[in-house]
Amino acid sequence: MNHLHTHHSAIPRLRGGLVRALFGALALVGGVSLAATSALAPAHAGEVLDQIREKGVLKVATDSNWAPQSFLNENNELDGFDVDIAKEIAERMGVDIEFVTPDWTLITAGNWGGRWDLSVGSMTPTKERGRVLDFPVVYHYASVGVAVHNDSDAQSLADLEGRRIAACTSCTGELYLNKELSIDAPGVAEVEYPFTAGEIVSMEQPAAMFDDLRLGDGVRLDAVVDSLAAMREVVNRGYPIRIIGIAFNEPLALAIDKGDAEFGAALAEAVTSMQADGTISALSQKWYGEDYSQPLQ
Amino acid sequence: MYDKTVARENQATRPAFLLPCFALSFGLFFALGLGEGFFGELLAPAIGEPAQSGLYGDFAVAITLALLFTGNIVVLSFLPWVAQVGAVWLELLFLFLLFFYSFDLSLPFIQTKIWFMITRGMFTTLYVSAISIAIASVIAIIGAIAKLSGNGFAYAISSFYTSFFRGLPLLMQVYLIYLGLPQLGFIVDAVPAGVMALSLCYGAYMTEIFRAGIESVHTGQWEAARALGFKFPATMRRIILPQAFPVIIPPIGNQFIGMLKDSSLVSVLGVWELMFLARTLGQKEFRHLEMLITAALIYWVLTIVLELIQARIERYYRRKR
Repeated sequence: MNHLHTHHSAIPRLRGGLVRALFGALALVGGVSLAATSALAPAHAGEVLDQIREKGVLKVATDSNWAPQSFLNENNELDGFDVDIAKEIAERMGVDIEFVTPDWTLITAGNWGGRWDLSVGSMTPTKERGRVLDFPVVYHYASVGVAVHNDSDAQSLADLEGRRIAACTSCTGELYLNKELSIDAPGVAEVEYPFTAGEIVSMEQPAAMFDDLRLGDGVRLDAVVDSLAAMREVVNRGYPIRIIGIAFNEPLALAIDKGDAEFGAALAEAVTSMQADGTISALSQKWYGEDYSQPLQ
Repeated sequence: MYDKTVARENQATRPAFLLPCFALSFGLFFALGLGEGFFGELLAPAIGEPAQSGLYGDFAVAITLALLFTGNIVVLSFLPWVAQVGAVWLELLFLFLLFFYSFDLSLPFIQTKIWFMITRGMFTTLYVSAISIAIASVIAIIGAIAKLSGNGFAYAISSFYTSFFRGLPLLMQVYLIYLGLPQLGFIVDAVPAGVMALSLCYGAYMTEIFRAGIESVHTGQWEAARALGFKFPATMRRIILPQAFPVIIPPIGNQFIGMLKDSSLVSVLGVWELMFLARTLGQKEFRHLEMLITAALIYWVLTIVLELIQARIERYYRRKR
């Protein structure tokens, strides 16, 4: 067996409906017993870290379609806040970097099986994700905002009662709309839900939500819940939308596959030194025009 | 086919066709209310200010367009067949481009991205589909032979295979292979996982095509080959397959074209092929439609090339007969 292959014990506890359905189908059709796979030994500590040092390459998964966090720039290369953070981490660990761009749902599903080592994707450490992923360190903070079309009569979040609202699939915005958001980090305020969405639209592509919203008030959507930074970018582009409030503030963490505490410690060390020497503040200023390195009030 | 057996006068000039055609097209154009748009501007000298022309503007535009449409059909009906095909293609293409032109797309943006789309996206799409179709063809030949064999074991395996892989959505197979195989200890990267899903799925469809093609050859051919002392492989290669191919080619051509487009499903695994870049490249500049349309046209051109190749092969087999 490939020794990169870790933590089978997490499989039966996966929450995502799709993932569960897929594994259910696989178990049925292939006659594969989940009990048999979970009997395989978990990875021993430090293994991922050893692999990275040995190969000299840190393989990072990030979204390719989520400006300004990560996107393809004019030269068709990955660029953005998360991409800069990832490059800096690799540099401080003394290894090269390689990016992969799987769908967000594949990243949050965990069980990466060594296909990539690390997710630098502004991921919120929720309790659900914590069952399949480890969050070694929080590297910045952000607000999740709510936007409506300019023609909308909604002035505050409470006005959205019963409306048709979009969030990206497997994002915290979607959990928020479902009132299932529980962030697993110290010092985070309890999330409040001032409204209940009438219909929740879950979209794979975050960018497509704003294209739908700009068609007009209530044409396809009444409102969108997404990262405030992404929203401001859209507003600056002249989309006819307006931000009516902040849904919640969230810490955003690096994520790794379960089971390698030493790798987590190395990442935490790199990020702590980046916080201490102001690198994160500087990158935040560069990409957001604001310092998001400290918790938001 | 029909016109080669029965000679008739030109149908397009008969009033029984012309009048309903004109009435229908007029009704359609009038219902669309085109008086204020692009066509209204064109007819501005006749109808005055388009915005104020109201129903009269709609009426005038609809009459003009209906006349053009009907007149066009009459003119085309006098042309020889080849010229008709060419002219209608050109007209449809013109309307199609006009349709995209009306989106107000940014051509300079497309120009900056198209080269990368071709070198990276189209290249990836092509090699993923080429590898997959090659593997699928091998699977299909083996599967078809197994399915036609008297061996119950081989038949059971191959019919189970075709049933399963034709029975699941391709996207689900992509996910199943990518997420499922690591649970068995095989960690496959995105491209091999995608190629595996595509070739297994298309192998199942093509198994059925090959089977039907082989079955279309008369049993007498098998018997004659046997009487001449041919063994199974030689019979297959020299007698059965050459006769089966002309039957197989059109549906296989369909599969090749289908594969080219279904390879877009591996974009969910993060493979930088055409579909992936179409969704991604325009994002920063908020130029999503530009990239989608560019990728669409590239796919289309590629399938046209495949169609032409298929037509050539079909002509080759027709000549040989």
